Amino acid sequence: MIKTPQNMKDYTDQIRATLKEKFLQTTLNNFATSYKASRAKAFSGMDLEALREEIACAKDAALPRLEELLEEFTRHAEADGVKVHFAKTAQEANAIIAAIAKENNVKTIVKSKSMTAEETFLNDHLEKQGLKVTETDLGEWIIQLRHEGPSHMVMPAIHLSRYQVGDLFTGVSGEEQDPENIDKLVKVARKQLRPRFIEADMGISGANFAMADSGAIGIVTNEGNARLTTTLPRVHVTLAGVDKLIPDIKTALTALKGLTRNATGQGITSYVTWIKGQPPCGASEKEVQTRHIVFLDNGRLALAKDPVFSEVLRCIRCGACANVCPIYRILGGHTYGHVYIGAIGLILTFFYHGRDNARAIVKNCLNCQSCKVVCPAKIDLPYLIKKVYREVMDEDGKRPLRNRLLARVMGNRKLFHTLLKNAWMAQAPIADGPKIRHLPTIFGRKHDFRTIPVLAKHPLRDQWSSFKPVVRNPKLKVALFAGCAQDFIYPQQAKDAVTLLASYGVDVDLPMDQTCCGLPLLMMAENETAKEVAEQNLKALDTDRYDYILTLCASCGSHIKENYPKLLQKENAVPEGVKKLEEKIIDFSSFMVNVLKVTADDFRVSGKKVAYHAPCHLCRGLDVVEEPRELMRVAGLDYVPAADEDVCCGFSGSYSVDFPEVSEQLLRRKVANMEATGADIVVTDCPGCVMQISGGMDKHASRMRVCHMAEILREMRKKE
Amino acid sequence: MENGKNKELFKEKAEAIQTLVSSAATPEVIAAYTVDLTADQGGKTIALAGFDEETLAALLPDLKEKAKAKGIEVLEPPFRPHLENIHTGLTPALWGIAQTGTLVLRSADENLRIATMLAETHVCVLDPATIYPSTDELAPLLDAAIKENGAAYMAFITGPSRTADIERVLSIGVHGPEFLHILFKEEKADD
Ligand code: SF4
Ligand code: SF4
Repeated sequence: MIKTPQNMKDYTDQIRATLKEKFLQTTLNNFATSYKASRAKAFSGMDLEALREEIACAKDAALPRLEELLEEFTRHAEADGVKVHFAKTAQEANAIIAAIAKENNVKTIVKSKSMTAEETFLNDHLEKQGLKVTETDLGEWIIQLRHEGPSHMVMPAIHLSRYQVGDLFTGVSGEEQDPENIDKLVKVARKQLRPRFIEADMGISGANFAMADSGAIGIVTNEGNARLTTTLPRVHVTLAGVDKLIPDIKTALTALKGLTRNATGQGITSYVTWIKGQPPCGASEKEVQTRHIVFLDNGRLALAKDPVFSEVLRCIRCGACANVCPIYRILGGHTYGHVYIGAIGLILTFFYHGRDNARAIVKNCLNCQSCKVVCPAKIDLPYLIKKVYREVMDEDGKRPLRNRLLARVMGNRKLFHTLLKNAWMAQAPIADGPKIRHLPTIFGRKHDFRTIPVLAKHPLRDQWSSFKPVVRNPKLKVALFAGCAQDFIYPQQAKDAVTLLASYGVDVDLPMDQTCCGLPLLMMAENETAKEVAEQNLKALDTDRYDYILTLCASCGSHIKENYPKLLQKENAVPEGVKKLEEKIIDFSSFMVNVLKVTADDFRVSGKKVAYHAPCHLCRGLDVVEEPRELMRVAGLDYVPAADEDVCCGFSGSYSVDFPEVSEQLLRRKVANMEATGADIVVTDCPGCVMQISGGMDKHASRMRVCHMAEILREMRKKE
Repeated sequence: MENGKNKELFKEKAEAIQTLVSSAATPEVIAAYTVDLTADQGGKTIALAGFDEETLAALLPDLKEKAKAKGIEVLEPPFRPHLENIHTGLTPALWGIAQTGTLVLRSADENLRIATMLAETHVCVLDPATIYPSTDELAPLLDAAIKENGAAYMAFITGPSRTADIERVLSIGVHGPEFLHILFKEEKADD
């Protein structure tokens, strides 16, 4: 039985226990690395973006018509002798299937993999009726024998080692098994399960596609067990969510292209099976198979009508959002989901398994965007995770004190900035030079895995009027969106950028009414206040007066570009001002490379060895990948690529406060990967990442220096 | 010309996923290949299904004779009584998909399904003229085949049965055939 922690205390305990499982971390780490390579290979030569768009559009077109499609499907299927059922709830679906079993005098059942059956806990229900149910997908069989839930949608037993499986199979087969011989372990399953297929009265399968215009279903597998499940028994029952309904085979084939490549890096799986009507069946007295299809609602039809959340029903269950998630990679599915796991699991748990099960896990997201960019159906998973977080808080009827305070303070720029300035005085006693090395014990030791920079004595905005360089006959006029981190912690980074830009004839302004971009608010699901600050910034930045709005903070930049249109839309349309802001906002590296087109002549040749950390919100949020690397080369730096350069450093605002142990793991790996390059300097383009990584370097007594791209570039610039 | 390209690509893709592909199969070659392969693997039975009358007439007597010489039985349908006893399944494919090295089998016939699912080895005969570049070109044909009157069971088969469920180590032959051999049918020299 699956037990998911329902509060933060229990969840923290579970996380701590999981972090001790070394096999899990090694295996998931290897998987993350190899998955990336095999996926890239599978899609090579294809227009992946066009395919994603096509899948998303096709699903979006089907969702508002689900009831219609169900009716059309039913008409066709029933004309071919297949009985179609509609189950409002999980219990209803289980009851229908149990009744079919009874009516057909079924004693034994074989099952091929179905996440929908996991969702309804079908096996438990059928076993309670005295039926003998055998899972036949190897991974599912293993976890059934262990009485566990799946830890991955596609590879349900990925959390187990060969030794664990070897012991299990020794027990099942009554013969000593050699765990080192995986081929032989697999053959144990073949041998043990064959008789189950042959004796089974009923087969239960899922469906990847249900095509309305023919009443046929499509099933995608590798092992061949679904073919046996749908062929040998005299009764075949399919259980599928109503969201599996699509108009036709063309839509199915389009989704299939993305599904298999994204799931396992295969051009196609070993078997894809299309079944319609009642195929001949020698085991049945009627000589044709008795077929039933049960469509499960369980909230899907309502979800399909929701203006924000309907998007989640585009999911084709490829599992990739877990594969690329840095948290999944550390914790695995049993600690990162309920029945459904990974990014989509954090969301679906709330809708299919209730808020108690979603409450703690839904907080566990870095907003790193990895899932979003890998999703073949283009679901904005991180955004929806935060939305679910808010729903949970609302339904619980309590927003934590921290949320209420944050919203109050941030909603008022003057109050917020005054508090930040006063905070400088408060931290003076615990500061050790520019860093806080040990937090006062009230914070607890688990937060002590990095040093924290002290706030600047004089924020950028206070230094601005005396600092601002004079640029005569400027080539370009640019407004700087400084973001809290540079304004109050690292004003020097911004000053370096401004000085450098002045040398290129760029005049930079710092509009004083700007405030926090609002991302921290969205991270804590304070949408109303996030919207208020977005409006303030939109006004403060006055796009008409500037050629570009420059930000040195990737997080601010991507939040403004991606989320402002969502937050500020009116009647489903994005206002002109917001569109303009979206067009004019630009990150530092892109500005240098694409707008100023800087050349090697502008820089000294230093040959300094540097490593690079790609901030989540730059490489995925803003989709800026080549520019920073190009810029480092142009600036005469010797850039040494590092492993997992684009994996989150674990900072992510309040995340590291809620989940310090996970944040620490991410940081530890980041530091190790950076050090392995043998470079002297880590360059990145986000002040938040500078803060996290240099905090980690300090704790690990590393000699590597961490700096913002603007700082190193200013140092490398030839003097005029 | 175009078809030559599809054939080449099909072969390349199929071979990349543990499938053996050979060319220019006449009924005689098919019979000899299947029997020799079965004998080499120590198999005792062959289950044949899905061929049209004409091919069957050319293939079956020869197959039976060659099999008998090696002590191999060519099973008589229905195959239900032989579920635990099929070594080689010999069937035709309806179409091929070059991009992925995929066979498409019309499988409503239960005997064909049993022959291709429960065998240790599947030998499949494919006419290179029926290979399409990708599912895009095949979609209308597949659509029509599914919508034909009565029951449909269309199977895409790409390589042997596989799993990576234990420590993500690829292992072949978990529930379906462990070996897949494709024989390109001899092409008519009409160009
Ligand atoms: S945004 Fe990042 S941390 Fe959050 S679910 Fe997606 S991949 Fe995981
Ligand atoms: S949400 Fe997207 S990435 Fe995640 S399983 Fe569904 S389709 Fe795959």
